[in-house]
Amino acid sequence: MTRRKNTSRLFALVLGALIMHGCGTSSSDKTVLYPVADDPTVSFRIWFKIGSQMDPPGKEGLALLTSAMLSEGGTAVNTYEQILEKLNPLAAGYTASTDKEMTIISGRTHKDNLEAYYTLFTDAILRPGFREDDFTRVKSDLLNGIEKQLRYSSDEELGKAALYDFIFAGTPYGHLDEGTVEGLKSITLDDVKAFYKTHYTKDAVVIGLGGGYDKALVDRLEKDLAALPAGTPAIPAAPAPEKIDGLHVTMVEKDCDATAISFGFPIDVLRGDADFFALALFNSWFGEHRNSSSHLYQVIREKRGMNYGDYSYIEMFPNGGRLQMPQPNTPRRRQIFEVWVRPVQHAQRHFALRAALRELKLAVEKGMSKEDFDLTKQFLTKYALHFASTTSERLGVAIDSRFYGISGDYIERYRKEIGALTLEQVNASIKKHLQCTDLKIAMVTKGAEQFKADLVANTPSPIVYTSPKPAEVLAEDKDIEVFPLSVKAENVRIVPVEQMFQK
Amino acid sequence: MKRALFMMCIIMLSSAAAMAESPGKGVFPYKTTVETLDNGLKVIMVPMASGGLVSYYSVVRTGSRDEVEPGHSGFAHFFEHMMFRGTKKYPASMYDRMVTEMGADANAYTTDDYTAYHMSFTKDDLEKVVEIESDRFQNLSYEEAAFQTEAGAVYGEYRKNISSPWMMLNEKMQATAFTAHTYKHTTMGFEADIKAMPTMYEYSKSFFTRYYRPENVVLLVAGDFDPAALMTMIRKYYGPWTRGYVTPVIPVEPPQKGERSATVSYTGKTLPILAISWKGERFDPSNKMMVAATLFGELAFGGNSDLYKSLVLKQQRLQMLEPDFGLNRDPNLWGVYAMVKNPADMAAIQTEIDKTIAMFQTTPVDAKKLSDLKSRMKYGFLMRLDTPERVAGGLARFVALTGGIEAVDQLYAMYDQVTPQDIMDAAKRFFVRNTRTVISLSGRN
Repeated sequence: MTRRKNTSRLFALVLGALIMHGCGTSSSDKTVLYPVADDPTVSFRIWFKIGSQMDPPGKEGLALLTSAMLSEGGTAVNTYEQILEKLNPLAAGYTASTDKEMTIISGRTHKDNLEAYYTLFTDAILRPGFREDDFTRVKSDLLNGIEKQLRYSSDEELGKAALYDFIFAGTPYGHLDEGTVEGLKSITLDDVKAFYKTHYTKDAVVIGLGGGYDKALVDRLEKDLAALPAGTPAIPAAPAPEKIDGLHVTMVEKDCDATAISFGFPIDVLRGDADFFALALFNSWFGEHRNSSSHLYQVIREKRGMNYGDYSYIEMFPNGGRLQMPQPNTPRRRQIFEVWVRPVQHAQRHFALRAALRELKLAVEKGMSKEDFDLTKQFLTKYALHFASTTSERLGVAIDSRFYGISGDYIERYRKEIGALTLEQVNASIKKHLQCTDLKIAMVTKGAEQFKADLVANTPSPIVYTSPKPAEVLAEDKDIEVFPLSVKAENVRIVPVEQMFQK
Repeated sequence: MKRALFMMCIIMLSSAAAMAESPGKGVFPYKTTVETLDNGLKVIMVPMASGGLVSYYSVVRTGSRDEVEPGHSGFAHFFEHMMFRGTKKYPASMYDRMVTEMGADANAYTTDDYTAYHMSFTKDDLEKVVEIESDRFQNLSYEEAAFQTEAGAVYGEYRKNISSPWMMLNEKMQATAFTAHTYKHTTMGFEADIKAMPTMYEYSKSFFTRYYRPENVVLLVAGDFDPAALMTMIRKYYGPWTRGYVTPVIPVEPPQKGERSATVSYTGKTLPILAISWKGERFDPSNKMMVAATLFGELAFGGNSDLYKSLVLKQQRLQMLEPDFGLNRDPNLWGVYAMVKNPADMAAIQTEIDKTIAMFQTTPVDAKKLSDLKSRMKYGFLMRLDTPERVAGGLARFVALTGGIEAVDQLYAMYDQVTPQDIMDAAKRFFVRNTRTVISLSGRN
């Protein structure tokens, strides 16, 4: 490793990274390339066609635990401590992410450090150490993540995870990527080794490279990764979640200070499909993520001050509490339309649920207005420029495009498609794909039995404010507080929080 | 899904006549242009290739540190929300509409020492941004009802955060470690104060009048723009803004003369957490001991430290170990957090931390470890400066603490000067029992 203090080289390090537009790619079937002229850094995203959907029944969490062993464990050459020691002066690292369909081993380094970094990075993929002590640590970390953190430290993340499990129950998408408590507990180190051997194959890998790499690096990676064994891991059929008939509710009973609400249903639209962009435009108007332009945000937060924000989605958006823009490399073969109402006072939970569902009903019935359509179109054609700002993120988007079979620069296409939409197309797409009668609702709350009784009886839920509100808001409240929700008692399930994600 | 992270810190030029240019001789690689208007508003411009994007930060050098009046904790953060409530010229709905039309990525955040309003957009919209941002900073206007409604949203933000054990832990740590200084409350504020916010309409107007003044604000702009053209816009729109900043009298924290401790019972389930913090020093890049202390934090407790390798990786007695050595305007806390797997092990973990500190106080750190850390910090900083948003965001705290960006180069130059002996001296000077506060958090079984 070379230490560098030369100012001019430091200067070049940053400058080059910024000239990142107008770069063509010459990717092959086994590579996704995002070259950036003069970029002094190289971004790696090695894609394995391995996902949590491949977890064997009873071993939920195996795919993610295996990838975590690659990125957070030692190799045959170095212990994990030695790896940390060697990465430290490089100001570099690598990480693994496993989603339903995709595992990505990613990292970024300065070209000056490429040789030292390359060895460490490829060792992690090709020569994992699979030591017992690493396994114990990583597994314990994952278990703690479910048993303590997800169940107790963020009710809104808990609510969102509960919704996905609820909708995809019984399918390969029907458990957390991290697994279940019992699934994780049953996984042995031998399970991990066997999973690695059969799934990390040369036929399952696609090389993603971005930034200032050269062709020699592509050739070298191809040659080195060809040392992986042959074999094509079986990919399950796309998940077919059960048909939803009416409103189905899961309440997570928990000693908490506020109620977190998520609801949704599966949709048949994926990125790149004919209706995708029309639905994306609607979704942006209805609930753009963490944006005050969201209609739901305006209704629930801005006018009524009930919570911190209210959004909707047509694609998976992990880490939504932390991230402003979508994170790449969580593509799905089945997506859901999802509404996220951030925690509200328990006393306002019924009203908040009614308000959000009522807005969905109005949107489905009336569609978008011309004014909202024009404004959202204008917004999105520019806002899309922020979706992926760094080279690594753009490389990630290019990998997702490969997954979905989209050619060319996705963000440019997105802007073009949005720009070409008509109001009629958008409203037709709403009618075709969205509805408000058959959906699943997941809520984290205290006193779930009472809430269930209120829901089933359609008990009016007037809202009490501590501050004056305009007459039009109060008039609308009268409609919201009695907005009928047809919930049958047998369709409400109450689960104590300690049972969530258990098996 | 990515695995969840466990956790998450004035130099007023009097003349507007000349633009001062930094040629980028230090670690910060970009050429910067700085100008100050007659009213004291400082503008730091970092032109860079960015594919037509511009990032625009308005850094108000007021944060929860400035909440000096009793009963008003959390007000800087609350006020940040109010800044989106519009003016007579551009009411909230119109402001929102303009930002939407621009397709801007716009938001704001509040910290202990400052509040930042940031917007990322295409260069064609630069003048519009200058106009609407200057308007709300000079002419904010809202009715009491809107003020009270926003208070509800802020309480909602508190509610979404409070389920985290880290928030409870930090509340207790700051309340225990400080007796006088405003760092005794978190940026979110005490819950009782948040609940009472709807009654503070008049106070909010006074808050705006005293703190949102040109000599207390720095504009930080990075991306694809022409500095001279930008300055023409800024003079036009911000020129009429009048001075009037009232410097708050921040209570001085008396020296801590004995160890303090407290416990927190978390109503959910969590592994127990041990937090130990020491009184630090205010950010001053010319203060070698202060700079050495921050390096000590990483060397002693960071992800490449011997203690981490021993307790997290080898012995696996800790779920996580993380230093928190923030840079602050006044002396704040420097500390270490340990999430302990076995509740019965808490005392023994504290002993291990004590032994580590004792070792650093008596044995010079390995020179290679220190140089590796310096290299990592420098290159890590630079590799994060690859978009206008990340450049402006990365500089905001330095701007808030010092009023400029010179401190960046000074800090990294000082890092280079720190020796193993300095690390040892800093360990002896700051990390002593009399100035520390120990908080233990335990969950329900």
